Amino acid sequence: MTTRPNQPLLVAEDSNEDFKMLQRLMRRMTVQNPIYRCTTGDEVLDFLYQAGDYQSPAIAPRPSVILLDLNLPGIDGRDVLERLKQDISFKEIPIVVFTTSANPKDVELCYQRGANGYLIKPMDSSELEKTVQAFVEYWLEANTPPSVIS
Amino acid sequence: MNLTNHEKPIHAPGSIQPHGMLLVLEEPELKVLQVSSNINTYLGLQPQDLLGQPLSYLIDPQQAIAIAQQLTGENTRNPLKLSISTDRGKRYFDAIAYRTADEAIVELEPIDSPHETSFFSFHAAIAGIMSQIQSTSSLPEFLQLVAEEVRKLTGFDRVMVYQFDPTGAGCVVAETKRADLSPYLGLHYPATDIPQPARELYARCWLRFIPNISAPSVDLVTLNQQPVDLSLSILRSVDACCVEYHRNMGVAALLVIALMQEQQLWGLIACHHYTPKYLTSEVRIACKFLGQLASLELANKIRQQELSDRVKLKSLQSELIESISQASNIVEALIQPAPRLLSLTNATGAAVCLGNEISLVGATPSLEEVRSLIDWADTQVSDNLFATDFLPQIYPPSVEFKATASGLLLLRISKIRCYYILWFRPEVIQTVTWAGDPNSSFQLENGSIRLSPRHSFERWQETVKLKSLPWQSYELDSANDLKTAIVGVVLRKAEELAQINQELERSNRELAAFAYAASHDLKEPLRGIYNYSTILLEDYAALLDLDGVDCLQTIKSLSQRMETLIDALLRLSLLGKAQLNLQATNLNELLQQAIAVLFASRPDAQMSIRIPRCLPTIECDPVLVSEVFSNLMSNALKYNDKADPWVEIGDWERSGEPTIFYVRDNGIGIQAHHHETIFKLFKRLHSQEKYGGGTGAGLAIVKKIVELHGGKIWVESVPGAGATFYFSLQ
Repeated sequence: MTTRPNQPLLVAEDSNEDFKMLQRLMRRMTVQNPIYRCTTGDEVLDFLYQAGDYQSPAIAPRPSVILLDLNLPGIDGRDVLERLKQDISFKEIPIVVFTTSANPKDVELCYQRGANGYLIKPMDSSELEKTVQAFVEYWLEANTPPSVIS
Repeated sequence: MNLTNHEKPIHAPGSIQPHGMLLVLEEPELKVLQVSSNINTYLGLQPQDLLGQPLSYLIDPQQAIAIAQQLTGENTRNPLKLSISTDRGKRYFDAIAYRTADEAIVELEPIDSPHETSFFSFHAAIAGIMSQIQSTSSLPEFLQLVAEEVRKLTGFDRVMVYQFDPTGAGCVVAETKRADLSPYLGLHYPATDIPQPARELYARCWLRFIPNISAPSVDLVTLNQQPVDLSLSILRSVDACCVEYHRNMGVAALLVIALMQEQQLWGLIACHHYTPKYLTSEVRIACKFLGQLASLELANKIRQQELSDRVKLKSLQSELIESISQASNIVEALIQPAPRLLSLTNATGAAVCLGNEISLVGATPSLEEVRSLIDWADTQVSDNLFATDFLPQIYPPSVEFKATASGLLLLRISKIRCYYILWFRPEVIQTVTWAGDPNSSFQLENGSIRLSPRHSFERWQETVKLKSLPWQSYELDSANDLKTAIVGVVLRKAEELAQINQELERSNRELAAFAYAASHDLKEPLRGIYNYSTILLEDYAALLDLDGVDCLQTIKSLSQRMETLIDALLRLSLLGKAQLNLQATNLNELLQQAIAVLFASRPDAQMSIRIPRCLPTIECDPVLVSEVFSNLMSNALKYNDKADPWVEIGDWERSGEPTIFYVRDNGIGIQAHHHETIFKLFKRLHSQEKYGGGTGAGLAIVKKIVELHGGKIWVESVPGAGATFYFSLQ
């Protein structure tokens, strides 16, 4: 199984520490995909609609998978999810929720709004590693995303 | 009106119809005292020949004995078959004999042959009818069947069932007729159409038969000049009034059968024929029998009808109560669907009044009229349940809306809260179709009132003005039950609310305890993490590479951030319990202190503060309000990317309204879709490293303080061009 190195991953994560940890784990798993990061909900939308600070496809390519934190500054991750899944041009991009919230209501709501996966950030670092490993193996290696529009 | 001046009492007219003969006898020897003058026609005798003679002068002794037996025995009033020898040979008669108070009476009707019609021929018919009658399920269905069976038995052109109301007025409730005749079904007739004496006679005799209303009556020739009581007579002549009344309708033959319920005349089966029509005594007996059977069954059917009405009403009630108890909005539950509330009391309109809110259903007076009516009721009506079918009499302004509310049923659920339900009924004129003008039943003649037939049967609207149909006691009960239910539901809701409040209070207390524990107990390990990271950095930094040092720095800053978050949480939870320390506060002084503190904590801050005019002195909690201004100013300073940041603080004083304060800046602004969310706890718009970070608690605290003062806060902003926070403190 090999990764598809050109397929960009978009991570919506406001916590620097969490993002650093994620980067570190992915580096260890030798993930080759380019990783883009947004820190607020508004930024995620700007990134996808190529608006605001993200006017060109060169700095904001269409991601093949989105890893989405729920509690984002600005527009909430839940609303971002809803907006993207209701937009015909983005709804096919797999969105995997990545959050500290283990609230069953959040899980249900996210799936109702069309989330493709729901991962809970564990406290324990080896558990975290397993979770990230699972994400990488499935969404970046095993899974075939819809063809990326260049 | 007094009808005693009627020319002759209708029960003793001194004459009979010509289709039979009548003899008045004196007992015990059965001497003839009076005789109808038509005996000549039937027997070839003069009345004088018979007067004073014993009955045996006319008939043979055996038949005379049979008559005497019928007079003394339990009178079945079934006719005897008599034969009388005349000059023209033997004539056959049906005879009935009965007693009045003073005399015995024998009535004779000619028949063709002495052979009795078999009892069984109509017994079978009646038995068939009886089983059908019992199987009818509703009162109207039953009455219709009775009418149809009577028409089958008699062959009359029109058979109607006529029902009296408590005032004696009547309504045609069932009808069967020749197809070409116009219907009378549903028409109402005033009480004077069938006056009290006539009604009494119907009640006594069960059956009244007039084969030819135009046939001239036959006088009784009498020995003693005593008018004889013909109440029970089947041949009694027809009152002139009745003759004209029916002639006006084109009726030539008439058969009336009484319908009795609990010894009261409930109604009549009235049969009309438009040409003279004779019925044999057998048919008449069958009709009378049918009338008696129907009367027996009537009580049953009325009970059933009442029961099914009551069941229907009950289920309507429970359905209504069910939806009230489940609904969040009682008014909506009451008036949706609208017919349900109206059927509850058989009203045509209703108003549901909860405080100032009035909802109208069906045909009602205007909102203003209802409002005035309630105001009137508040002062004039002491009962919680009040009904009138003559509202204009007690509340004259209601004349204006008599067409919707001549009748009022008022239910007061709570006077203090002004909870009312009002039901309305229209003037009876709008409700009922009268047959002809009932007032023309009377004519004044020589200063006395006498009954007179009506001349017109055009539909006419009765002049029972400003009154509605009366409210029945079960309709009032129904309204009362509804009240009980509503009060129950309201009480239960209040109880639920009290319980929720209790629950809330408890969870608030728990939350406060949690926040307290969080702020103190959680801070202890946090301090440990901070302190030990500091030790590592100070004493062992040399052993670590840059990444390691960076990690330790991160641990330190994370633990600091956590402390800030916990402090914010505690601050907010304490605010929730805070008692305001209100005092007259000069906002200018307060603001100067806040500005001083702000610049003391950020000595390098470059921001001009504009206060265009003097701020007022207001009643507030100075410590908390200072926090509001500090927070808003520090936000203005934080979220600003301009070279010359400024913030302006001012107020609007509006007469009679709370002062509105504003804090305006030339900062980065806030997009419209975030104008609400910024006030939520821990909700930030930007990532940590931008604009100096922040917990996202500041504006939540500001909002809480403003609300504690009874005020409101909101923001207006154009992204990139600054923001203005507005708030009031009362």
